[in-house]
Amino acid sequence: MRRKGKSRAGALAMAVSLTLGMLTGCGTQPAAEESGEVTITIWHDKEEAVTQVLENALSELEPEAHVVLEKKSDLTEALKMVGNDPKAAPDMYLFAHDKIGVYAEMGILAPITDIIPEEELTAYMDNTIEAATYKGTVYQLPLYYETLLFMYNRLYMSDEEVPATTEELYAYMQENTKGGHYGFVEQHSTPYYAAGWINGFGGYLLNDQGEPGLNRPETEEALTYHKKFADLMPGETEYATVNTLFKEGMAHATIAGPWLIPTVRESGMDVGIAPMPVIDETGTPISPYMGVQGIQVLKNAAEKKPEAVEKVLRALMSDEIGTQLAKASGCAPARESCYEQESVTGDEVVMAMKETAGNAVPMPNLPEMDVMWTVTGTLLTDVNMSGKDVAESADRAQAEALQLIENMK
Amino acid sequence: MGKYLKKIGTFFTMMLMLTAIWSMTAMAATDTDRNAFYVQVPADWENPCVWAWDSDGNNAFEAWPGEEMEADPENEGWYYIWLPSFANHVIVNANDGSVQTEEQILDSNAAWMTVKAADTVEVTYEKQTTGEAPAYTEKFIVHAKVDESWENPCLWAWSAPDGTNAFEAWPGKAMKAGEDGWYTAKAPIFVNSVIINGNDGSVQTEDISIDPAEIWITVEADGTYDFSYTDPDKAAVADITVHVAAPADWESPCLWAWSAPDGTNAFASWPGEALEEGENGWLQKTVPGWINSVIVNGNDGSVQTTDISVESGKDIWLVVNGPEDYTVSYEEPELAAEETEADTAAEEVTEAETAEDTETVEETKEKSSPAGPIAAAVVVVAAGAGIGIAAKKKKAGK
Repeated sequence: MRRKGKSRAGALAMAVSLTLGMLTGCGTQPAAEESGEVTITIWHDKEEAVTQVLENALSELEPEAHVVLEKKSDLTEALKMVGNDPKAAPDMYLFAHDKIGVYAEMGILAPITDIIPEEELTAYMDNTIEAATYKGTVYQLPLYYETLLFMYNRLYMSDEEVPATTEELYAYMQENTKGGHYGFVEQHSTPYYAAGWINGFGGYLLNDQGEPGLNRPETEEALTYHKKFADLMPGETEYATVNTLFKEGMAHATIAGPWLIPTVRESGMDVGIAPMPVIDETGTPISPYMGVQGIQVLKNAAEKKPEAVEKVLRALMSDEIGTQLAKASGCAPARESCYEQESVTGDEVVMAMKETAGNAVPMPNLPEMDVMWTVTGTLLTDVNMSGKDVAESADRAQAEALQLIENMK
Repeated sequence: MGKYLKKIGTFFTMMLMLTAIWSMTAMAATDTDRNAFYVQVPADWENPCVWAWDSDGNNAFEAWPGEEMEADPENEGWYYIWLPSFANHVIVNANDGSVQTEEQILDSNAAWMTVKAADTVEVTYEKQTTGEAPAYTEKFIVHAKVDESWENPCLWAWSAPDGTNAFEAWPGKAMKAGEDGWYTAKAPIFVNSVIINGNDGSVQTEDISIDPAEIWITVEADGTYDFSYTDPDKAAVADITVHVAAPADWESPCLWAWSAPDGTNAFASWPGEALEEGENGWLQKTVPGWINSVIVNGNDGSVQTTDISVESGKDIWLVVNGPEDYTVSYEEPELAAEETEADTAAEEVTEAETAEDTETVEETKEKSSPAGPIAAAVVVVAAGAGIGIAAKKKKAGK
């Protein structure tokens, strides 16, 4: 259950990657060299609202490039299996940035800067390019990003009552958690969600060197501090439970992904979105992970179909794509210039993600991160649900993470 | 460890609460288009209510007798209610549902109805009142269970800190007694504070800070209280499974289930939800454990049993032979298993088998007939007054 949040974000990221892939290429299809048309296949796992925008834009590349967006539910595993097989692999894929390290180490990705000059990437938000970079090389063309958001039910929590700090949040929870209603709920023992608190204390699950930081003082301090909030939430907080509590009006506020907003609005809720509370102990807001959805190019496609690949990438670099994605699916565009458009600045959800992104931390894109989700989940369960000693649990989790990472080598 | 157990307990409590929420109908959507529906009733019709639904069986309210109307202060003798625009089938009732009109099918529920008697109703779509109806305000239900020494409990409600009151004067809205021991009244969703009082306001709780959501408040003689946003009586009951053997010619049998007499439905709309294939040849459906009444129906609800009362909180085995012919059991009937075996055996009979073999099978099937005696305990509770009400509702609402 703890992986659900991460999986949801991962799925979203995967979907984005797939969509981008669809937009940028049709690598598995043989190039119709005789007619001059090249097919570019892009794997993705995105919702139709996103792919429709991409398909419309990429259709303008016809007849020189025919782009096929192919939805793959098992995209990441499929890529591991066939990424090196030119006959089976796509030309591109649209997915979150956090798997870049895995595929870069497999040697199946082409650097984006081999196709698009690096100076052209300055049009993107810095942290999206940071997320797209693995060991100094940019492997993803960012399309949009997502962060968790602080959202609240205005039936219960007025705009004036929105907590600016975590201590205000705690006081609110103490006053309003009663009778089966909760002042605030979140997936407190899911790493993707707890990471916001850990990052806000200056701790980390995994640093950019691939080193786990579960027993660092900052991480332990975050776990200790966060525990008192978890004590005022339901004991079990998997994805469906937390979202249902909020959607059904049994929780006043939550931290959740932007994907929850359409659902709660449909239910008739007047939902508000606010900046993340500032952690009193550090002066830093809760700093969730940021997932950047973008296009990755497979090395084989970059070598065999360079012109078509570049056309696809350039088509996806337009501001119009970003603004259309924001309008169609509430995606926060990765290109800075999109935020000069009224249609983007007028979108409450997109702008909330933009604000949160200022403190958000790109999800680590190192292969080592694969083991950290499970190990951190166990640590959070031990601390939040089993009441085990923080330091002992953190030491144990750190040792396990180190062992698992060692086993990967 | 204790903490862990506490968390586990909290988890299961949560699950029960969520189950209750998921199970309850939520038919009065907050963003529904609404029309003001006006009614005049005979002088002896007290506290008139409206029960309303559409031709697809979607109910406007959760339970019979529906929503209580409010007197229009600007138009003496007229009561009004804001109905969801889809609900154009209405029954006006009063005196706790003991008197009611026939079903009225309206062109639009933006209408004015004059009830001269239960069977004499006039409807017009031309405005019969002056001014506009008071603005629609969403409300929530406050349930209170008070000590016996507290008579005629009332609800006082307001918005803090601005102090806007929901009701004109202390002691507030009189709460209506229910057969389940709970008193109920409604308050507008702008309030966040309530007081339960009794004996003409001479006894009361202290200020209770609440969320504007359906709430159950238990009050002791000394005014101390506890509250919950889930029905304490229902949250403690686990889901049950209803097993059904339906007549073969009832296609796509469905289950309709509810709690009588409060009328809380387990499913959103008639004919309920389809029964699923279970074990040993039974059809089955899992429902909230608080239901105490069921109907099995088939052929898109065109055939159905009468209201069948069952014990709450127990798995049920229901053998239906016809609309009025059924047996209820709380243990899997032995005969049902034999029937299944017989069915299986019958399927295994081939054309090459002897007539004697066939006779044996037929004999077995006859012994297994649902109409035959059932060894297991059978409890069939006679339909009471509450069921009568439910039947009216169901037949009207279908």
